[in-house]
Amino acid sequence: MEQSIERPAPNIFAQQEEQRESYTALVWRKFRKSKIAIVGGMLTIMLTMMAIFADFLSPTDPVTPNMQYAYSRPQQLYFISSDGQLHLRPFVFPQQQVLDPATFLPSWQPDFSRPTPVKFFVQGYEYKLLGIFPSRLHLYGVEDGQTIFLLGTDKFGRDLWGRICLGARISLALSLVATLIIVTIGSTLGIISGYYGGWIDNLIQRVIEFLQSFPSLALWLALAAVIPITWDQTLIFISMSAIFALLGWTGLAREIRGKTLALRETDFILAAKEMGASDRRIIFRHLLPNCLSHIIVVMTLTVPSIILAESFLSFLGIGIQEPLVSWGTMMREAQSIQTLGSNLWLIWPAFFILLAVLGFNFLGDGLRDAADPYSIV
Amino acid sequence: MITNQQPILEVKNLKQYFPIRQGVFQRVVGHVKAVDGVSFTLREQEVLGLVGESGCGKTTTGRSILRLYDPTDGEVWFHKENGERVEIANINKKEMKPIRREMRMIFQDPFSSLNPRMTVRDLISEPLVIHNIASGRELDDVVAQLMRNVGLDPNYMQRYPHQFSGGQRQRIGLARTLALNPRLVIADEPVSALDVSVQAQVLNLLQELKERLGLTMIFIAHDLSVVEHMCDRIAVMYVGKIVELAESETLLRHPLHPYTEALISAIPPADPDIRQRRIMLSGEIPSPANPPEGCVFHTRCRYAKDICRTTPPQLVEVEPDHQVSCHFARELHLQGIEVAP
Repeated sequence: MEQSIERPAPNIFAQQEEQRESYTALVWRKFRKSKIAIVGGMLTIMLTMMAIFADFLSPTDPVTPNMQYAYSRPQQLYFISSDGQLHLRPFVFPQQQVLDPATFLPSWQPDFSRPTPVKFFVQGYEYKLLGIFPSRLHLYGVEDGQTIFLLGTDKFGRDLWGRICLGARISLALSLVATLIIVTIGSTLGIISGYYGGWIDNLIQRVIEFLQSFPSLALWLALAAVIPITWDQTLIFISMSAIFALLGWTGLAREIRGKTLALRETDFILAAKEMGASDRRIIFRHLLPNCLSHIIVVMTLTVPSIILAESFLSFLGIGIQEPLVSWGTMMREAQSIQTLGSNLWLIWPAFFILLAVLGFNFLGDGLRDAADPYSIV
Repeated sequence: MITNQQPILEVKNLKQYFPIRQGVFQRVVGHVKAVDGVSFTLREQEVLGLVGESGCGKTTTGRSILRLYDPTDGEVWFHKENGERVEIANINKKEMKPIRREMRMIFQDPFSSLNPRMTVRDLISEPLVIHNIASGRELDDVVAQLMRNVGLDPNYMQRYPHQFSGGQRQRIGLARTLALNPRLVIADEPVSALDVSVQAQVLNLLQELKERLGLTMIFIAHDLSVVEHMCDRIAVMYVGKIVELAESETLLRHPLHPYTEALISAIPPADPDIRQRRIMLSGEIPSPANPPEGCVFHTRCRYAKDICRTTPPQLVEVEPDHQVSCHFARELHLQGIEVAP
């Protein structure tokens, strides 16, 4: 008898194929199947890269004004010269401002006689890569004295492309920070509310209802207007994130509470109690990991909503202020029909807002399907 | 053999009522009397079967004893390893924790009782970590040994439960239960969620482990055929009450309660030539929220008389070591089955 127990049961596992796959591998396999999720993921990565390497990607300093080139039209890239020859190295033509003889409106005229070749990995203005390493290297540029404004310039003559890259930093970082706060508060309160029940649950749910009954736009406006402009940039950044997070966590908290209510009744939570596990252990080792897939999905879907909210507030001139650059503050310049009518390229930041919102939404949708390969609730 | 042993668990008049709330103000309008006055004594190394239809309160009894619910009334006395006798029905969570080392549970459903996000190693080692018994490298060795004990290959330590079959998962649950070297195990229908062929494997394993580790067990089942080989004594429950309690062999050969007789007649005989008279109970099991007056079984009993509808019978020792709760226990001649000694 003693011996038969010591010996592992012989053939229970024999037929079973070795199929060891980690959680991430399972998620990735499912995620890969959805094309739209891949597109979303690539857009997200692309925009993040833009934000991180903003200075490397912009040929001219996106902060220093250069009035000489105010409202420059986007310069087109050419591959075929006027004599019909194909060049592998693209080139641009410098442009000059001329006044229309009839209407006296300024317009930009390319000087086709002087092609300027685009150079790659050139030395330009000095910046700090990742905020640490000083560098002068830029992805592309033209020789000194020439300009390359692929997306045009704003009213201070600053390269719009460079500013969009720089704006991605604030727009993405702000929504990421706000989302992190939302996820932390939302999931913690949601789990506490669902797990403990009783008066704690009641209290948290009433607070959520109270917060949800606020018209969020009006509250954002009011709170953002209260922030003194004289504050430090970082402080403004943090308080803006906090404002967006303040109203944003309620939805997630509700969802997580619902999920916790379902999980609380499962046998494995009962089993944990039977072992004598503490509440903390049950929450962090059992409930949270089982809610994690949901939290990740909500996270990716919250980011775009914050990006939109931030752009909207900045568009109205509240919240993020110059010299901080965000997509919203850039959109502010495109506010008047008059300016926009004669300088249509100022609408470019809107295109990137669109890309970011779509990218994160696609990613979230893909994750929603993939994140839970073996859940039981 | 068993009668000489010391008692390990004494349950006295255990009651577990769940309030029924209704209306806007969630007023308590009644109680579900899931367990209504259950008493028994369990001796060391004894296996007590707890049988009855679904909804009769077997699982609730087990969970109340383990304090997964807070009992409404009654006493549960547990004899600790060091000889100390403690009342556990009314102690707090902190005082209960050391008791949980000695008294463990096996769960019914091997699919929902294992956290899908934890590896087998984490699952089995969790009780050891909670009770600060082992950590680090030592933990791996203990887990490997436990896995071997229940017939699992320790190489599969890093796998997740969804990669195992039902029988293997129940073995994981078993290893987790045995991790703390418990003295008393409450097995809550450990095989009813499994395939019949796998049931036998797991039952044999339980039997082996029980004998080797000298476990005391409460074996909950809804099926007499599962418990007849496992148990020394069998308690039959009906609507929150024990209606009959006796040694397995006695109970099966000479049942004294009409409900036990009906349950016994439902055991399929191993010999196909045996023609057995099936006793079909008519009607439904009464709701524990609104149990019938008098004897709880009178609504379905073939032998019910007037007294059964008015006066509830008490659980009395009609024969030595044979308790029955029926007014006519001495008069009825009920049909049992032959059991191999």
